[in-house]
Amino acid sequence: MAATATGVYHRSYTSELALRHTRAERARLVLVAVALLALPWLITPYWLTIANQIGIAVVGAIGLNILVGYTGQISLGQGGFLAVGAYTSALLHLRAGLPVPLSIGAAVITTAAVGAFFGIPALRLKGLYLAIATLASQEIILFAVRNWDAVTGGVDAISLPRLEIGGFVFRKDFHWYWVILIFAVLAVVTARNLFRTGLGRQFMAVRDHDIAAATMGIDVTRAKVFAFAVSSGYVGLAGALTAHYTGIVTWERFTLDVSVLYLAIVIVGGLGTIAGTVYGAVFMFVLPALITRIGQELSASFPDIVQRFPAVQIVIFGLVIVLFLIFEPRGLDRIWQRTKDYIRYWPFRY
Amino acid sequence: MSTFIQLSVYGLSNGAILALAALGFVLIFKATSVINFAQGEFLLIGAYTFYAAVLVFGFHWSLAVLVGVLVAIALGVLVERFVLRPMIGEEAVAVIMVTIGLASMLRGGVQFFFGTSPKETPRFLPGESVSVAGVTIPYDRIAAIAIAALVLTAFTLFFTRSRHGIAMRAVADDQQAALTMGISVRRVFAMAWALAALTAVIGGILLANLTGVSQGIAGFGLVVFPVVILGGLDSVPGTIVGGVIIGLLTQYVSGYVGGGLEQVIPYVVLVLILMLRPYGLFGQVRIERV
Amino acid sequence: MKRTSTVLALAMAATLAVAACGGPGADNGGEEGPISIGVLSDLSGATADVGTPYSEGIRGYVDWLNAKDGIDGRKIQLKLNDYSYDVAKAEQLYSQYVNEGVVAVQGWGTGDTEALRQKIAQDELPFMSASYAATLVDPSETPYNFVIASTYSDQMRVALKWIAEDAGAATQVAVFHHDSPFGTSPVKDGAAYIKDKGLQLGYKAYPMARGATDFTGALSQARSQGAKYVVIQNVSSPAAVLAKNIRQQGLGMKIVCLNWCADELFIRLAADAAEGHVMVQPFTPPSVDVPGHEDPANYLKSKGQSLKDKGLHYVQGWYTMHVMAEGLRSLVKDGKDVTGANLKKALEEIDAVETGQVTPPIDFSADSHEGMHGTSVYQVKGGTMAELAKAVRP
Repeated sequence: MAATATGVYHRSYTSELALRHTRAERARLVLVAVALLALPWLITPYWLTIANQIGIAVVGAIGLNILVGYTGQISLGQGGFLAVGAYTSALLHLRAGLPVPLSIGAAVITTAAVGAFFGIPALRLKGLYLAIATLASQEIILFAVRNWDAVTGGVDAISLPRLEIGGFVFRKDFHWYWVILIFAVLAVVTARNLFRTGLGRQFMAVRDHDIAAATMGIDVTRAKVFAFAVSSGYVGLAGALTAHYTGIVTWERFTLDVSVLYLAIVIVGGLGTIAGTVYGAVFMFVLPALITRIGQELSASFPDIVQRFPAVQIVIFGLVIVLFLIFEPRGLDRIWQRTKDYIRYWPFRY
Repeated sequence: MSTFIQLSVYGLSNGAILALAALGFVLIFKATSVINFAQGEFLLIGAYTFYAAVLVFGFHWSLAVLVGVLVAIALGVLVERFVLRPMIGEEAVAVIMVTIGLASMLRGGVQFFFGTSPKETPRFLPGESVSVAGVTIPYDRIAAIAIAALVLTAFTLFFTRSRHGIAMRAVADDQQAALTMGISVRRVFAMAWALAALTAVIGGILLANLTGVSQGIAGFGLVVFPVVILGGLDSVPGTIVGGVIIGLLTQYVSGYVGGGLEQVIPYVVLVLILMLRPYGLFGQVRIERV
Repeated sequence: MKRTSTVLALAMAATLAVAACGGPGADNGGEEGPISIGVLSDLSGATADVGTPYSEGIRGYVDWLNAKDGIDGRKIQLKLNDYSYDVAKAEQLYSQYVNEGVVAVQGWGTGDTEALRQKIAQDELPFMSASYAATLVDPSETPYNFVIASTYSDQMRVALKWIAEDAGAATQVAVFHHDSPFGTSPVKDGAAYIKDKGLQLGYKAYPMARGATDFTGALSQARSQGAKYVVIQNVSSPAAVLAKNIRQQGLGMKIVCLNWCADELFIRLAADAAEGHVMVQPFTPPSVDVPGHEDPANYLKSKGQSLKDKGLHYVQGWYTMHVMAEGLRSLVKDGKDVTGANLKKALEEIDAVETGQVTPPIDFSADSHEGMHGTSVYQVKGGTMAELAKAVRP
């Protein structure tokens, strides 16, 4: 089980709370940072687009993981919250003329508020009832978006001009990579930090045993509402970024399938770990892209295959989820831990 | 008045099929405490198996129904054995996700073999209409209501009278006690999934007759949730009542209010019931509150 | 178990590395060699039943053209991929095409056309698709979009004009449309047309919910409106369900389908419920013989297939690609560089492109990217589309 290195002793609280304890961990972190900085120059534009999509998904999925993995509240409503974030930012920018950074900030706060509101059922429901309630909230939010013509423009797509800051137009994927990278890193760091604070520990206590948490003096109601609010804030940020990145806001992007995708990212990556969320996001975006690529290569020799490939993708999506849950329910993060252990302990078994 | 009758007939037929699909859902939940997000896809498989049997293999429709039934039972047993049994003891999120993953696999599988275009329906329900009190009512809707009612009655009798049915209720009530009585819980689980697939397949075949074979049938499955929550997750009569109510309500809203509101009404009802009476109209008061 | 997961992890890393390194090289239009065109097709998504023959039409045309020596010796190279009507995938494929150096893009649906609208303008790539929204025809707003067929709004006007003539007196029209921008596109323009021309038509719009199994509710509202005519702006499958509902309930309403349900698929799905209804369709179906059907029909016969089986969407794809090819041909003839910007100018400057009467001649100009005005009207007779009125202008 032990994934931390041996021979690490802490002589102060500060060092115990540190995120990286050993030189090896810090070295790996530096490697990852270097890789991320160098990435845009090394990969083709096709993969750069996917990298940007992964970055946005990381932000959103971290939000979901805070809710599902750390606070134990099942939620199927992320699509709706993404929509709230996207529409808020787009509308504030277009109609109220707010500069984009402000509109994104406003979107985060609005989605957090909406999330807290839809978290109220969580105060009375648990487990699958909560899942079903959030499913309903997803459909209701989308319905409101589709029909609130005065505000959202109804079913029409909202077209956004390219992001422009101080005269510089963010036109290419290359430019956006840096914007998204900053947000993703911020999201990862703040989320990781959250669980070093009291509030974060309250979330985890509620997940583990809410009644015991209540007896310890934790206000479970407040914790749950906060969890929903914080989680929705992240998701709203992801929605706002999607809106400005793609330049189009339509409700069709925020359906139940997207909610399921986010949940899959969180579960395949590993519930309750931030690193797992990143792995999950990378996995769930790269896999379909690889399959598409393979399909394109094969289509030259087997033209009929092209038609079937999207179906294959859907099957593999489901298969991946099922296999992960049956064989490694703790996700990619656990697999990585086991890999590290294997290397560390080799040639011993444990 | 005639609008009302017409809407009622359509609402009842939709509600009856919803009740069939929801019945399978409740069966699985009662016996195994698992929420099956793949119920809509079971409907889909029912419809497409029927289509394939009739149009691709050229069977007569009665034989096709039999094929559908066999496929359903096989599907249920296989799913229970290979997907759900390893998940015993895992937490709720994991089980929900596994059924969602299963739903994706089934949907992708159907798409792989049949593509996404809607298919011409092999019909066995009469297509004509009859005029009653100034309202044109199609025979096939009435037939669908009758068939669904028949199947639902059969299941209710099965639960109350037959040995296997009572065994399932025993397992749903208390697994340990049932085991001590010599009831094979494994077999009950397999039976629950098989029966659930069976009701869904019958529902899917009926839907295929009424509205055509297409991927949209899986979407019908989502409305199962409001139905079971309204009726009570562990109550069979509740499911039937819930299905009828949701079916009728949707049609009335569509007819008298319109504007697409009928799509969201079941979910509003769902949220209201969850807030006011989470165990539904007929369910047992067993929900933990915080 | 541990072993397998380690091996899995390493295998994944290896595949990722290999995939990340790989990448297609760049082709270009330029001065010689094949001309690259990017194609986004829906072969397996929500509109695959019509997207597939359309895509095959494009492929068939290019195949046929290349066999005939291409464009003055230069062959067209299609980069064709299925995006399953998933807009995110369409964007990924688009950036791949740009990287591969295509000079123009053949899109498909409203979703991708809308999403790529700004990008193609900035990347200077002419874009043709099967989305005939009126918002795409103004070059000052969408300089690189070219709309081949009459817009949905134009089709709606023709439909309303026909209804007014057929009814002869005041009557009510119910517009059933897809619940999306594609669906609402012609609705307002239809209402404006009625007002402009002083037609005595009551007009009400009903959204058709996706995945609805029947439209009883909306139809009962249409009935209380007193609607005698139903205009459908939707694809064939839900339109067929609506037609069957109307027949089953004995409502006696006459359907006028706009182009996306005015096809053989609608007739097939609705069976006898389709009989007698009116179809507004800019592209002549194979059931009505015109000279323009010869080339695709002969090509398909040489492949052992028939045009009547493929249907009118094949013809639609064929001639959409034909218009783009004519623009390319004029560039090559004038010895100009084959680039996106040049192609745009060429398409605007060339004379009207003939399509052998499949459509009226298609003409673009610097002021308008609307290829044709008005459309033909057909009626379902005996299970096929028969011509009712040719080239009606609103």
